[in-house]
Amino acid sequence: MTSTLPATATSTVPAQRPSAPEGVSAPFTGLRSRGSRADLILCAGLLVAILLVQGWNIAAYPTLSDDEGTYLAQAWAVQQGKGLAHYTYWYDHPPLGWIQIALLTWVPAHLSPSLMTVGPMRSTMLVVSAVSAVLLYVLARRLSLPRWAAGLAMVLFGLSPLSIVLQREIFLDNIAVTWTLLAFCLAASPSRHLWHHFGAGLAAAAAVLTKETMLVVLPALFVTMWRHSHRDTRKFALTGAVTACVLIGTAYPLFALLKGELLPGGGHVSLWEGITYQMSRPGSGFVLERGTGSYGVLHSWLYYDRILPVGGLAGALLLLVTFRWSVTARALAGPALTVAILALVALRPNGYLPAMYVIQALPFLALVLAGGTASVAHAVLRRRRTEQERAYVTRGRRGLAAALVLAAGAYVVPRWYDGDRTAVTADANAPYRAASAWLRTEVEDPEDTRVLVDDALWLDLVHDGYRPGLGAIWFYKADLDPAVTKTMSRGWRDLDYVVASPTVRRDAADLPNVRAAIGHSTPVATFGSGEDRIEIRRIDAGHTTTARSGGSR
Amino acid sequence: MAAFTLWWQMHAWRTPEVLASTRFASPDGGGGLSFSLLLPARHEQAVLDHTIRRLLESSHTDFEIIVIVGHDDPETAEVARSAEARDPRVRVVVDHHERKNKPKAMNTALSHCRGDVVGVFDAEDQVHPELLAHVDQAFRTTGADVVQGGVQLINFHSSWYSLRNCLEYFFWFRSRLHLHAQKGFIPLGGNTVFVRTDVLREAEGWDPACLAEDCDLGVRLSSVGKKVVVAYDSDMVTKEETPGSLMSLLKQRTRWNQGFLQVYRKRDWKQLPTMGQRLLARYTLMTPYLQAVSGVIIPLDVAVALFLDVPVGIAFVTFLPAVTALVTFVFELVGLHDFGKQYGLRVRTVHYLKLVAGGPFYQVLLAGAAVRAVWREQRGHDDWELTSHVGAHLTEATREDVAA
Repeated sequence: MTSTLPATATSTVPAQRPSAPEGVSAPFTGLRSRGSRADLILCAGLLVAILLVQGWNIAAYPTLSDDEGTYLAQAWAVQQGKGLAHYTYWYDHPPLGWIQIALLTWVPAHLSPSLMTVGPMRSTMLVVSAVSAVLLYVLARRLSLPRWAAGLAMVLFGLSPLSIVLQREIFLDNIAVTWTLLAFCLAASPSRHLWHHFGAGLAAAAAVLTKETMLVVLPALFVTMWRHSHRDTRKFALTGAVTACVLIGTAYPLFALLKGELLPGGGHVSLWEGITYQMSRPGSGFVLERGTGSYGVLHSWLYYDRILPVGGLAGALLLLVTFRWSVTARALAGPALTVAILALVALRPNGYLPAMYVIQALPFLALVLAGGTASVAHAVLRRRRTEQERAYVTRGRRGLAAALVLAAGAYVVPRWYDGDRTAVTADANAPYRAASAWLRTEVEDPEDTRVLVDDALWLDLVHDGYRPGLGAIWFYKADLDPAVTKTMSRGWRDLDYVVASPTVRRDAADLPNVRAAIGHSTPVATFGSGEDRIEIRRIDAGHTTTARSGGSR
Repeated sequence: MAAFTLWWQMHAWRTPEVLASTRFASPDGGGGLSFSLLLPARHEQAVLDHTIRRLLESSHTDFEIIVIVGHDDPETAEVARSAEARDPRVRVVVDHHERKNKPKAMNTALSHCRGDVVGVFDAEDQVHPELLAHVDQAFRTTGADVVQGGVQLINFHSSWYSLRNCLEYFFWFRSRLHLHAQKGFIPLGGNTVFVRTDVLREAEGWDPACLAEDCDLGVRLSSVGKKVVVAYDSDMVTKEETPGSLMSLLKQRTRWNQGFLQVYRKRDWKQLPTMGQRLLARYTLMTPYLQAVSGVIIPLDVAVALFLDVPVGIAFVTFLPAVTALVTFVFELVGLHDFGKQYGLRVRTVHYLKLVAGGPFYQVLLAGAAVRAVWREQRGHDDWELTSHVGAHLTEATREDVAA
């Protein structure tokens, strides 16, 4: 007999197993988290709390981001059947992300088209957050964390002020995180089913096609799958997963190939150029060097919350160091490795570090922090404990644990309370709403008006009757998209307004047409004050009439 | 459709528990059943003696070997008689049918069987000495009416098609048959199959007119709810060799396909109780034809997507079958690796390359056999094909003996 499994020791040849449900085998049913009532109640309770805090005031805080506008506008273009973007799709990111946003926002946008603007549509991100939070809980249980630690991971992930700020925003990264968590959950499937691992490969591919940066997480996923597969079926499970991932991933270049846009050529965009652009983005400096862009990004994260990023990193370190002795550390090898990889990538000497980079690390930071806590709890309460342990030692252990819990609570709760209170009360988007209202009511014939506007406000203008694309113009397209610049033969003179939001003012330095438009205009309305103000600037009189004839083609 | 095949092909590896359950359980030592082992032999004097000797080495205590020879085949009969003289457990039965085939021969012997269980082997089979004890155990512990053991072609290095042929057997016996047993619809294999004698007599033996009498028997038994258990152990499979030439492989495959078609048309499977089982039966018996069609359609699809000017969406859809085919390909490569590991055979890089390169050609072969089978069945050429197959055995008998 070549058998190495305990199952063969039973004296039957169970080729026929009518009673066992498909894919579930009795010895492992106990590990399944969905079976337990306590799990269900805990998970549901935490989910409600997370959704309340994340959902309350979601449209008004944080400040609308340009990227949110970009993705939502492209999702809108998908819904309208205008292709993958209302400007030429140039392979900046794989399109799966905003195709999913288009699906998510389909129903509300159908009920009331004017809802399809960044603020209101943020609420659809609650669905994404909710699924991610539940998957994180399931994953924690599947990685054999105790129930309380799984709940802790969910809380850390869902209620950290940093998470709340980032998960509220319509970022592709949030959707990619959901897919990644699904992939990890399937990889850690307790039944070790071949098709679960295959599904993990599919989910991983979906994650990468949603946000390409997820590529770096794949090795950690592979490790997780390796650890959770059985020796006898491993080669099939892992090859299946890799094949699934690669095949689905290939769909993207295949798509480019079918459109004839795989390689650069005259007169069209190409996947190749898109990739080289992303790879050659100017670095933002070393993350630990004062004054660099990356340093600023890191501190913007730490401004919202230090506990999750710093604690998570510490947790990952602890788990990686204690890998040889700690069961928890071995169980959490995959997530700890994910955190390590993401940290190393962030530490590149002169890499490009976008603000949303930390999003993909959040669930894993939460998981390893919870795992580290579980490890410490185990060490305090159980390590070297014997049956005959004296009562005072046991009391000492419990006392120490209670003291640690109190200390942690005293440190975390006030900080998070402040952060979360801001998130549910502050209104950061009043200037945007006011600017949108002004453009809706004060401009007489929006159809014939050409406005440079940042992506976050663009959909507002489209709903107000401005022509999408050449009437309401993403400001940087006025310099970068040949399809737009050719309608602006006289440069800034062919425009009517510039909505100078902080983003527009910042990027104008590198965009001559936008800079000229700002230079040759005067503010007609200003909302907010200081750096964050939004100015609506009319292009100087004397040119507008001619501009209009030029613009209306 | 390719997705279904893939799903089923990978059945045994779904979870470690499923994989473990596909193996024989260890015998507990207590023997119980007696076996009658049928060994139809025709112009197989070169290998028959070796096979009988191996069978006699079996560790089981209670069995008889019934060698079935034709009245017109004195060479084989002589080998059989000498074995009969040597060992009382060997008996010879002579088949007097004018037109000979395997089911007729076995039906002839069925009335001579004295054991509780009838087992079937081919004259060139390499049978493991522990097999009978394990089968006995399987019968007693599961209450099965039929036990199907594994059969494995082993000479994967002989040629590009034998490589694929071996792998087909590997996936079929290692994995797919178990699924059939679980679902309660199973086309049995031609040998290493064991049936309780009373069940077999009740079913009136094998269908002498059917080209795939083994498949037919399985379908008839499972259709009336008999319990079939499949067990596979790489140590204990019956080892065989691929047909000696591409032409004989084509003929063998044509015969099987035609047999499947006959079984399909006999409609015994219609008695299966559930809709799912009937669908599985319909699908399984039709597989050769679907295979033939898909072999042609997939390359066509890819060509359409790449070279014709079709919308991107449609082009994507046309790629879907190619995707499942690719996944199958990859699993075949892993299967080949596993096959090498299980049998302690050295699989070299060149074999993997051959497997990939041979894929399309093997599809053509399968498609050819399918078309040929349909054509013959339409023309009512079933008799001719039978004699032709028996003739093919002549060439089989002359090929080299299987290494022990």
